[in-house]
Amino acid sequence: MGLRKFSLVSFLKKNFDFIAGVLSEIGLAAAIIAVAMVICMLLASVKPFL
Amino acid sequence: MIPAVTREDLKVIGYNLSKICYVTGAVLFLPIIVAVIYSEFDTIPYFLIGSAIAFILGCLVSHFLYTKKEMELKHAVCMAALAWLLAPILASVPILLSNATASGLDACFESVSGFTGTGLTLTLDIDHLSHSINFLRHFLQFFGDGIGIIVVSLSILGKTEMSSVLAFKGEAKDMGIRPSIVRTSRMIIKIAVAFLIIGTILFTAAGITAGLDPGTAVFDGLNHSMTGYATGGFSTRSQNLLYYHSVWVEVVAIVVMVLGAINFNLHYVVLGGRRREILKNIEVRVLLFMLLTFGLLVSANLLFTNFYTSGEALFRKGVFHVISAQTTTGFQTVPPSQFMLMWPVFSMMLLSAAMVIGGSANSTSGGIKMLRVGVLLKSFWGDVKRVLLPRTAVVRGSFHHIEDTPLTDTVIKGAAVITISYLILFSVGTAITAAHGYGLEDSMFETSSALGNVGLSCGITSPSMPAVLKVTYMFLMWAGKLEIMAVFVLFGFVILGLRKGIKK
Repeated sequence: MGLRKFSLVSFLKKNFDFIAGVLSEIGLAAAIIAVAMVICMLLASVKPFL
Repeated sequence: MIPAVTREDLKVIGYNLSKICYVTGAVLFLPIIVAVIYSEFDTIPYFLIGSAIAFILGCLVSHFLYTKKEMELKHAVCMAALAWLLAPILASVPILLSNATASGLDACFESVSGFTGTGLTLTLDIDHLSHSINFLRHFLQFFGDGIGIIVVSLSILGKTEMSSVLAFKGEAKDMGIRPSIVRTSRMIIKIAVAFLIIGTILFTAAGITAGLDPGTAVFDGLNHSMTGYATGGFSTRSQNLLYYHSVWVEVVAIVVMVLGAINFNLHYVVLGGRRREILKNIEVRVLLFMLLTFGLLVSANLLFTNFYTSGEALFRKGVFHVISAQTTTGFQTVPPSQFMLMWPVFSMMLLSAAMVIGGSANSTSGGIKMLRVGVLLKSFWGDVKRVLLPRTAVVRGSFHHIEDTPLTDTVIKGAAVITISYLILFSVGTAITAAHGYGLEDSMFETSSALGNVGLSCGITSPSMPAVLKVTYMFLMWAGKLEIMAVFVLFGFVILGLRKGIKK
């Protein structure tokens, strides 16, 4: 009755750019976390040799 | 010659301020839903009184100062500066009535800290605060700083498109990304709501893994998502994020903080399909450079002073606070007193520098802004090249921010003026704090936190701190939010009115 059937596929298609954009921004944050973690681990593992 | 202040000028400013009163009144209604959900019926009158005061004031102002005159840039700038004072004062009423703070001044401080997205708090017992008042504190940050109260007020209630465009400029959010201001506002709200939902889901999941019951995890998740995206830093816990002792909560907080620190224009183009823009943008590059450099230096300093020895601790205490400072959020995973009493001075100085630099322009972040820092660094590098290259060589500078922009003298001057103004205010704030007996590095830390709208505290900000410092920090938060220039325009307007009188 006036309500359209919700389709996940059409929703994803319609909002692909928005969703992909959100994921790429979260990816940027995840990359920062990963690089920072690697730097911290490296520092901690190098210290005993200095 | 600068024209004298006229009655019509005051009417235009006042009439537009009445819309801020209406929207603040509406904002104060929302926590009533939370009060009903948690059966905190005794708090409902506080919100009703606050809301009624805002609506009555709005009605009176719009009745007596009604005008058909269009807003000009000077009106918009003065209106924005006054709006960031008026809205916090109105919103402090429920906080004051609920006795969440020790005095009216503290309630105002809390409200200014909320609206400006700072996060320094004077609330007495956050852990036992009612849900509705706690929600209000967080919602003030999300609505005031995350979405932008002036933008929403004038987009919805503004007479013309032009008044809203000028208001954007007035509160230092010169967007220029959409053909229509209504569409711009819709886009800002859409982005904010999308990240709010994502943040809430992630924080809730992290909270449950940290041992919270689902109800508490959702409440804390929603509030932290609001303040994380708004780069505000208020927390539902007196110990801030340290309360959870959870690496997942901290990881989610970093993701939300980084998202909040990204320029709205960049959000818009990236979410519109130009995803590669994220790596080309000058602000993102400066952000990455600053985070990794400061993160490395702070971690190395903490490690070699034997303060933290494991990689995990360096990340969770060192890098986390660098990101919290740089994005101007203020989430904290160490007690404030630990900063003051135990952290190495070098790390404190680096965190202060990160707070002064801040996040992206046109984002929810404060500080000088990375775009300006990027412009100044590019200009500096251009000057170095000019010296090194032959005299006949032509050095043309440009930077990439959504599109390639030439590095003109006007752009460099604009960045330099704001930077110098920030540094002057920073020096004055540090001097006033140090004059109250605090150490220099602690004074610099707390001042940069207030001026950069950050919220990290080394313990100076507390209900027992001198009233002069409370007022100083309120001024710094206000001036920092408006990127200083609007404050001087307002002062100039007032001085002009006092010297030349108000003409008809």
